[in-house]
Amino acid sequence: MIKLSQDNTRRVLDIHGWSGILLGLLLYAVICTGTVAVFSDEISNWSSPLSGESVDGFPTGFNAVFKRLYEEVDPRWREEVDAFVAHGGRIYLRFEGELESEQEGHHEHYGVEYQIDGNTLEVLKRTEGLDHERAAAREAGALAEFFVDLHVRLHLPNPWGLFLTGVLGLGMMLAALTGFVVHRHLIREAFTIRRNKEALLRARDAHVIAGTWSLPFAFVLAFTGSFFSFASSVGLPAMAMVVFSGDQERALAEVFNRHEPYDDTPAALANVDTMLADASARGGAKAVFISMNYVGRADAFARVFTQVEPGQLSGRAFDYAAASGEFLHENPVLVGKQPSAGNTVAALMTPLHFGHFAGWVSKAVWFALGFAAAYVTLSGMLLWTLRRAQRRAWQRMAGVVNWMGYGLPLAMVLTAHAYFWARASGVAVGSVQWAVFWAAAVAAALMIGLGSQARARAWMIRLSGAALLLLPLSRWLCDGPSWASALNHGQQVVVSVDLALLVAGGFCLWPRSRRREGFVPVAEATS
Amino acid sequence: MTMRPWVRGVLAGPLSFICSWLLMAGAALYLPSGRAGVDNMVFPIVLFPLVWSGLFLYALLERRLGRGYLVIVALGLAHALLIARHLGVAP
Repeated sequence: MIKLSQDNTRRVLDIHGWSGILLGLLLYAVICTGTVAVFSDEISNWSSPLSGESVDGFPTGFNAVFKRLYEEVDPRWREEVDAFVAHGGRIYLRFEGELESEQEGHHEHYGVEYQIDGNTLEVLKRTEGLDHERAAAREAGALAEFFVDLHVRLHLPNPWGLFLTGVLGLGMMLAALTGFVVHRHLIREAFTIRRNKEALLRARDAHVIAGTWSLPFAFVLAFTGSFFSFASSVGLPAMAMVVFSGDQERALAEVFNRHEPYDDTPAALANVDTMLADASARGGAKAVFISMNYVGRADAFARVFTQVEPGQLSGRAFDYAAASGEFLHENPVLVGKQPSAGNTVAALMTPLHFGHFAGWVSKAVWFALGFAAAYVTLSGMLLWTLRRAQRRAWQRMAGVVNWMGYGLPLAMVLTAHAYFWARASGVAVGSVQWAVFWAAAVAAALMIGLGSQARARAWMIRLSGAALLLLPLSRWLCDGPSWASALNHGQQVVVSVDLALLVAGGFCLWPRSRRREGFVPVAEATS
Repeated sequence: MTMRPWVRGVLAGPLSFICSWLLMAGAALYLPSGRAGVDNMVFPIVLFPLVWSGLFLYALLERRLGRGYLVIVALGLAHALLIARHLGVAP
């Protein structure tokens, strides 16, 4: 039991409540989308699988395709070359260079990107343009990207989006820390629910139980999330300014061990397949990303990353002299030129935040804990508004909390429907997704504003359930594979995600008594 | 709280944030860089959220608000001076 004076207890309780209520609405959006984004790879594999066997890693024969496409690309866009495997077995091959922007002295990344079928090595699509234009053309991953983007920066421009989510992470950390202090009898409260008491007490007990069990996780998520948001938006610029006297290029080269050019004599590239196979053999896992600089010169350089194997905290990275194909050394996967305590700590942040270190098992645990954190945030906000329900302003706030709490999941599911129908109709997927998302948000606001909050909430849950049940049908009707076809081609992810959606939809539509609906009296009190 | 809440709010919010930023940037100049030469940059960035949370809570719980201002401003100023000297803009 943590002992505090009465005055300090009141202050900590105030911090806990206000940090939750001020940042809670946006924090809830970040947590909800982050919980779904845990399965972003599976979502993109499920939403846009290629026909045929699913592939994992680069297939043999990629070298020939790479060299043919390399010759096709304007030499101005060959400064940096990357290739990676994503979205249902597609290979993305990207050539980039610097384009002088309209603003004097500024440069933008411009280039060509090919989408290649990992089974047949056939070029599916070619896009030329700026970064954001090429990203918009990656329609296969647009659904997962929508959730990830909302989670990472609330779809605000950088660095402001990252800055805001960083502050939200700090708010979550404060709520977790102060929650630890406020709920003094943590062990007892972790097992206490007063089932026969009034709804408010039961709701409060449920909030405390979920909060107590997910407290360490909430802290870890908030801490690592803040790190990711602030590292690039605040941390690296600060280091560049102070340690490297404002030279961002030199800072990036030092921190990420960028290879320096030393010989521009023209030279052919070694066999890419051989380097990929060598990295896979050394790393004991499939190579999934290759990054090259100075291709076509004697000092050409390649770094190959292998995927994260279950049981490992991160993948591995191997450096090659790309003109000869000679293996140079293993590189720390994140920062520095050799293994260090700093690299170990920085590399720990990724598995701790994404939960992908033990395959689908750890992802499922992270998803469940993320779900609990979302529940704690929502129930905390509802409790806070309920206690002040006699005041009109807080009644309105309860409406806003209900809107975000139940309208957001509905909007997310409808966005997934929009993704499938937009792709099938050949219209711009990104724009349709956002249009449907905001239309659903407005519809939810109208439901809350025009009637009783309890009824609106019940309807939003029902609609979410129905939309979840119908999502596999939308996927199948919009040129997706049937279950039989998916299983025949080893695409178990299609069936697994469909089944998970059906279970979730059934759960939302499962009839339950008014007494068991935790916050019904809250909504009634505030409607 | 004896003074107006916003005075404490300014200390806990913007001032603590600025102080954390200065601590992060300044710490890179005196922490050991390790054998890879990056530890002095990585640890301050990693610890930035914790430092800010710590200063935020301290600012809200410190009974004597004047002492809270003194501690946070002194910490920030010491690191600002360190940075300024390193960049050659202070003697």
